[in-house]
Amino acid sequence: MTKVLEVRNLVKEFPGVKALKGVDLDVLEAEVHCLLGPNGAGKSTLIKCVSGAVEPTSGEILFMGEPLPAGDPAGSLKRGVATIYQELDLVPDLSVAESIFLAHEPRRGPLLVLDKMYRESEALLARLGHESIPVRAKVGKLRPAAQQIVSIARALSGNVRLLIMDEPSAILDEAEISTLFDVVRRLTAEGVGVVYISHRLDEIRRIGDRVTVLADGRTTASGLPATTPTGELVELMVGRKVEQLYPDRPVGTDRVLLEVRGARRLPAVRGVSLQVNAGEVVGLGGLVGSGRTELLSLIYGLDQLEEGEILVEGKRLRSGGPRNAIRRGLGMAPEDRKSQALVLDWSETKNVTITDLKRFSHVLLDVRKERESARTQLRALNTVPDDPDRVVRLLSGGNQQKVVLARWLLHGCRVLLLDEPTRGVDIATKAEIYRIIGNLAESGLGVLVVSSELEELAHICTRVLVMRDGEIVAEVDGKDATEHELLRHAVAPTDAPVLVEEVV
Amino acid sequence: MTTPAQTSEPGRGAALAQRVRTLELQEYALAIVVVLLFVVGAILKPDTFPTWDNVRNMLTQASVVGVLAIGMTFVIATAGIDLSVGSMVAAAGVFGGILVGSDGTSSLIFILGAIAFATFLGSVNATAVAYGRVVPFIATLAMFSVARGLALLLNDQLPVSLLDLNGGSFGDPRPFSLLWFGNGRIGGIPVSVYVFIAIAVIGWIVLNRTRYGRYVVAVGGNREAARIAGVPVRRIIFSVYVLSGFLAGISAVLLCARLGSASPVSGNLYELDAIGAVVIGGTALAGGRATIVGTFLGVLTFALIFSLMTQLNLSTEIQQVTKGLIVLGAVLLQRPEARY
Repeated sequence: MTKVLEVRNLVKEFPGVKALKGVDLDVLEAEVHCLLGPNGAGKSTLIKCVSGAVEPTSGEILFMGEPLPAGDPAGSLKRGVATIYQELDLVPDLSVAESIFLAHEPRRGPLLVLDKMYRESEALLARLGHESIPVRAKVGKLRPAAQQIVSIARALSGNVRLLIMDEPSAILDEAEISTLFDVVRRLTAEGVGVVYISHRLDEIRRIGDRVTVLADGRTTASGLPATTPTGELVELMVGRKVEQLYPDRPVGTDRVLLEVRGARRLPAVRGVSLQVNAGEVVGLGGLVGSGRTELLSLIYGLDQLEEGEILVEGKRLRSGGPRNAIRRGLGMAPEDRKSQALVLDWSETKNVTITDLKRFSHVLLDVRKERESARTQLRALNTVPDDPDRVVRLLSGGNQQKVVLARWLLHGCRVLLLDEPTRGVDIATKAEIYRIIGNLAESGLGVLVVSSELEELAHICTRVLVMRDGEIVAEVDGKDATEHELLRHAVAPTDAPVLVEEVV
Repeated sequence: MTTPAQTSEPGRGAALAQRVRTLELQEYALAIVVVLLFVVGAILKPDTFPTWDNVRNMLTQASVVGVLAIGMTFVIATAGIDLSVGSMVAAAGVFGGILVGSDGTSSLIFILGAIAFATFLGSVNATAVAYGRVVPFIATLAMFSVARGLALLLNDQLPVSLLDLNGGSFGDPRPFSLLWFGNGRIGGIPVSVYVFIAIAVIGWIVLNRTRYGRYVVAVGGNREAARIAGVPVRRIIFSVYVLSGFLAGISAVLLCARLGSASPVSGNLYELDAIGAVVIGGTALAGGRATIVGTFLGVLTFALIFSLMTQLNLSTEIQQVTKGLIVLGAVLLQRPEARY
């Protein structure tokens, strides 16, 4: 088979950092080539070099046997290299068809040819098996999964030979992921080569043909078969064995810390009751859009309850926003660390202490004590680097999450609400975060974890609650929980994955 | 395993680079600009520029806008803007003036009246932005018009003379009389300069060494994250506009004290001067990064440039064009740092 892409000894230096120190990669026609590596291994830099967004320092990139012009995104695109980034780069107010043809709209003279644009968009979506997505609807009205299909259609609107997908599954739930995989299989059947980046090792076996592993800017293994055992891949990624991914399941006590009674806020949450006891890790599973995140927002006071009540240690929590919730002992690590949890240009210290400044404030802030306290917490969580002055923007996803957790450790809350705590986190750090969650429960906290990775819920939780359409439809004891079992509850019996929300 | 050693090598370099933070670099650079401007002035106009009289004059004028710029730093730190400060200065002065009447009862009443009125106007801005959820640009643009209109309405478009307040004279005002704040000196340095420096120092301490200051920058840096972390976001936003109004009142006092009258057309384009000084200083318009030292140096930079231009007999029109271009340039320079 012919090679679509050949990368030879690629080096990229940024001022002060050598991001790539010699990377090799071949991608064949009609294959899904998975790219693995911990955060900061150089995956993003590598794909940016291929897509032309970044100019490599040295090394070769051959595309269909010919050198690809360096640092020329338009040139890469024209030759058939398309990239779908993790953060969907769509304009919410444009229609589906406009998004697909953005910047290369069919024109007659200076005028747009709208009907051609609609027709071709429909054809492209049909080619992906998603003709149900309305081409005139605003992209912002679609679910993330459908938006991703639009992104892929956009890539296909040029003559794509190589499609690079950066963590496409991160924002999708299980059902949507299988839909995505169908789309990927259709593309490879047409001969397109796909580079697939993911932190979820289970996906490699499901969709991948071969695997290349990056660690610390180097290729540690190239072109392995997708059947390579997970343990071996992890070892290649982190340079050592990760003995135990999941810690022991916490048992929990009978003391109720958090109780939710009939919480309701339409349309997302339609009457939910649950309890979290001291020492428990309670999982909240379900598909994206089942109301999990919205429920956490209600508990934490980010949104107002329409009906129902929330009790913390037996006493009613009056709605007074997050400040009130924090005062009563709640803490939250939100879904999107960058936009909801951190001030990215701030140091680790300031991000850790923001909730607890009172403690260091005697008219003036005791900056030294603040820094020391932050460092103690960061060390306890094995944050790398535990330099309290380091700007958090430059940290990997896992370490950013540890900064958020350090904030609540410092504050000393009773109930911790975690929304997708391991999203975008590499496997070694995931193991650490699981251990941290376990230890927190051990020390008497109640932890409520929302996750789209049902497998992790099945392993770390005392109990798992499954949500569907704004209600809790099942409670599964942690010992009996399997990914399969949870998924069965999450998806309604007759559910075919619906990607399109009602379009107004 | 050698892996940890390998990763820490570039790590150490990057950490060092971050220690010398971009903000501090910008502050040093600006300090050099201030010195250079002074040297250039001294070379071009050796007889008139580097004189004690000229420096004193420059600083006196700079202090009026300087006080506004300190308040503006807090507003911009929350990713807001206050376009109404110039108009509030005029309205506060005229209000204070009619409060004491032409006979003049007490400087204190003028001072308190002007500050109270400006603080009130600022709290109107604050309410609109923090609780009415009006975009700061629009809310304060409206106040820009309202306050200017009030300044003209309050005394039939006429300036109020404040020369009689507490007797004093321009040459030798009685300590703590109004004119003393504009024309008095302590150890040869104008009182208004002390006021500006005192406010700048307090501003620095509040911004960098108090919980309040930390919250202000957090709100600008990431409003949603601040809210989830328990910062009283709305109260903070409210407070910075009140603060900006309060400092506009003080600025009005310094201006009226210097001129001996309160004019309804004073303070014109002061908002641009203040915003310009803040931006040149390195405070990010997008919020989340604020520096009082930078603002202080930005105020000095503006003062030096315009003093020099005046001495070179360049018209105020040319100065105005230059001012606009400098602000634009400063914003353009900021852009690459606002990574996204």
